[in-house]
Amino acid sequence: MNADLLSINESILGKLRNSYDESAVQINEVNNVMIKIVNNEISLKHSQTLYNISLYLVKKGRLFMLESSTSNISELTSLVERIGSYAELVQESELYAPLPEPKPYKALSNLFDNKVLNYIDNSAQLCELMINSAINEGAQRVSGTLKLSIVSKALTTSKGFEGFERGSEVVSYLRAFKNESSGHWAYGGRFVDLNSIEYVGKKAAQYAAFTKEVVEVPPKKYEVILSPLVVGNLMELVATMASSFYVLSGFSIFMNKKVGDVVASENLTLADVPRDVELSNSTAFDDEGVETYDKEIIGGGVLKSLLHNSKTAAKFSTTSTGNAGLISPKPWNISLMPGDSSEDEMVEETKEGLLITNNWYTRLQNYVEGTFSTVSRDAVFYVRNGEIVGTTRRVRIADNLNKLLRNVSFIGKKQYLIKWWEVTVPSKVPYVMVKDVNITKPFD
Amino acid sequence: MNEDMLRYVVDYALSLGAEYAEARHQVDETSAMISRNGRLITLGKSVSDGVGIRLIYKGVLTFSATNKLDKSNLIDVVKKSVDRAKALTHLIRQPAKFSGDAVGKGSYRAYMLKDFHSTAVDEKIKFLEDLHKTAVNTAKEVKVPTTYCEYVEHIQKKLILNSDGGFVRSEVPRLSITFNLVLHHGSKGTLQRLMQWGASGGLELLQNWDPIRSLESEVTSLEKVLLHGIEPPKEPIDVIVGSEIVGLIVHESAGHPMEADRILGREAAQAGESYVKPDYFGNYRIGSKYATVIEDPTIPGSYGFYEYDDECVKARPRYLYKEGVINEPLHNRSTAYILRTTSNGSSRSMDYASEPIIRMSNTYLKPGDMGFDELIEDINHGVYIKSYMEWNIDDIRWNQRYVGLESYLIINGELKDMIRNPVLEISTSSFYSKITGADRELRFYPGTCGKGEPPQGMPVWFGGPNVKLSKIKLGGVGA
Repeated sequence: MNADLLSINESILGKLRNSYDESAVQINEVNNVMIKIVNNEISLKHSQTLYNISLYLVKKGRLFMLESSTSNISELTSLVERIGSYAELVQESELYAPLPEPKPYKALSNLFDNKVLNYIDNSAQLCELMINSAINEGAQRVSGTLKLSIVSKALTTSKGFEGFERGSEVVSYLRAFKNESSGHWAYGGRFVDLNSIEYVGKKAAQYAAFTKEVVEVPPKKYEVILSPLVVGNLMELVATMASSFYVLSGFSIFMNKKVGDVVASENLTLADVPRDVELSNSTAFDDEGVETYDKEIIGGGVLKSLLHNSKTAAKFSTTSTGNAGLISPKPWNISLMPGDSSEDEMVEETKEGLLITNNWYTRLQNYVEGTFSTVSRDAVFYVRNGEIVGTTRRVRIADNLNKLLRNVSFIGKKQYLIKWWEVTVPSKVPYVMVKDVNITKPFD
Repeated sequence: MNEDMLRYVVDYALSLGAEYAEARHQVDETSAMISRNGRLITLGKSVSDGVGIRLIYKGVLTFSATNKLDKSNLIDVVKKSVDRAKALTHLIRQPAKFSGDAVGKGSYRAYMLKDFHSTAVDEKIKFLEDLHKTAVNTAKEVKVPTTYCEYVEHIQKKLILNSDGGFVRSEVPRLSITFNLVLHHGSKGTLQRLMQWGASGGLELLQNWDPIRSLESEVTSLEKVLLHGIEPPKEPIDVIVGSEIVGLIVHESAGHPMEADRILGREAAQAGESYVKPDYFGNYRIGSKYATVIEDPTIPGSYGFYEYDDECVKARPRYLYKEGVINEPLHNRSTAYILRTTSNGSSRSMDYASEPIIRMSNTYLKPGDMGFDELIEDINHGVYIKSYMEWNIDDIRWNQRYVGLESYLIINGELKDMIRNPVLEISTSSFYSKITGADRELRFYPGTCGKGEPPQGMPVWFGGPNVKLSKIKLGGVGA
């Protein structure tokens, strides 16, 4: 497999050598299944066997990209020829920088869990584990997803870099319902971890079944405890905004900030961790063949680093952080470093607040200033004098991302591995408590 | 596209015991340019070419996708699909079945009056430069530190066959532009606007859209908002909601909650469920007589245009809400079977690798018969919210928020001072119940609607007239 993909890369690269000054070829071979669970039974078995090729082509400083999800090589060749004919008509890219010279990289081990291979064809046991763990915990009905993937990646550049990796991924998430209440939990990692998959159903059901008196909470500022699902969603936004391409394009709160500025509470450290093999985007080399390394984006509340490929690094007069993206740098895996509080301690510390267990639909009024809102879904608990005393539903956080980062007061000591519909970058995140969070509800 | 190959796949699946089989060969080709501050960063092309196969085996619905199109691989995919279904049959209590619709045979296409290839690449790049220059040169007292633009030409071809006799061939070209604009002033901060154009057709659309003129108008207005915008009134007032926001509202709070798969809980763990229950159709009142929301895939030139859906069911207009009453949901053949009706042709897939699911196409509020001047003439103290940036809605499509961008105070029937960031945070029933008038100008806006797992982005239009809401309390950002 390794040799197969790399030899295809080499043969494509060979054809490009005469037409382009520089090029990179990446093939991703994907084999996955996704089982959709709806109302305690299987609604769909979804399988993909795909072969995706990305080409990066440079001619006289002009940058061309070609993405293909086809095994039809003649279709690809014709596109390569067509794109090459534009070189005289296109201006040199402001982001052009030569592809990096290849350097040795330290490969990562343990990217692949053999058990995924078995479960791809026989996933019933895992589905039953998810469903039954929720039902046994008091859920009346559950819906969710189990996804098992194997991805082989081969990268070859005209500078002589060659890299190959094969990895597995398991994503499991479940929404549990009991009467009018619901709870949600998720797990995303490299490995089939039966305990974590069982915990998905159990935790979702616990939130759904945790019955307290329903209370109306007026819109105002509250202390808010955010579950790892919410923290994952918001930290993904922050980490993505650290992409220097997002900064250049006006989609980032870091546009008017510089490395060294205080941007968050001093107890907050947010890192990109491509070498953490528990998380499923772990990789030893980026899309330009640069060795990856773990790095703080925000360390102790201070902006430590934007994410760069060699092109944005040249533009910012710095060095690549191993986060290519051939055009836009990207976070690989996210880790919000643990603090020293337990979840119970956060509740105990709360005078009047909300525990928000899940959210979705995070949207910004202004990416540069960070004004945003996001809507809760599933259980929201009302906390008073250190105790959960009620439940409320569907509130909205409408605040400013910069302020939210600065107002983080406690960070949980346990990290959870999260990936689901609203957390797309694999994340290790704890519970977080934030003070003075603006909560709104409809006026009418 | 190889019809014989698809027919073989369908027949082979049936021979293995499938009750239903469907094969769709889909090719999506895009050509895209990304520019920053008017300078091209990269030119890209993409092609996605493969087959999606859906079958029902002993009540288990499976979907498989592959882009290895040789016969032996396709046989292997179908076999695996059946084997994987077999392994799950014991977890099925309600077997998947489809309604007995008369599926269609036909072909359709949308035309480019001016082909994508009729204009040279350097001219298109010049157009992106002009957009940036327009933004910079129109701004007088504020700076434009960044513009960002994505220009995309897309051609989508499908050939679909199913075991119920469906056969549909189609080709739809689409053009879209997304333009991000940041305005900055030393003491007033920044303001941001994301502008979008999108429709099916060719380069003739650029002439119709006239983005340069739209951009001039936007920058002129938004500069005033940044420099002079005041806080919105705090007391309840009449609000004119501009067609851009009305379109988004009907998409979010009429289109999505009227997707039958969502109503039945199939999207519960992803895009959510719905406040609408199956017994609401034809009798549950959600708004005033102005609340008629139509979903129509057949609008020529629209971004969400199609004539047959991906289950080969003929498309037609659907009245989601009719004069304030919940009327007809969007169905595929599965939800139609469960709710004992027929499909209204709402099943679509983003690409070959995605399962067909219920999607909106072009959703709009029915226009009224007033002019804009008539709509505002009797408002002594009100607000007109023309455009927005931030919005969201909860997972049952009830509690929603829209934050205005270009907005005006209305005094004695005339537009006056600019208002900054008025917040319309409202429930679905309040919005549709408080409509007291609509003008006759129907405008559409493009969007990419997200749904499904793996997520599928679908081109849609949403639109409506300008509408008047009575006695609304607005909020402000941070308030």
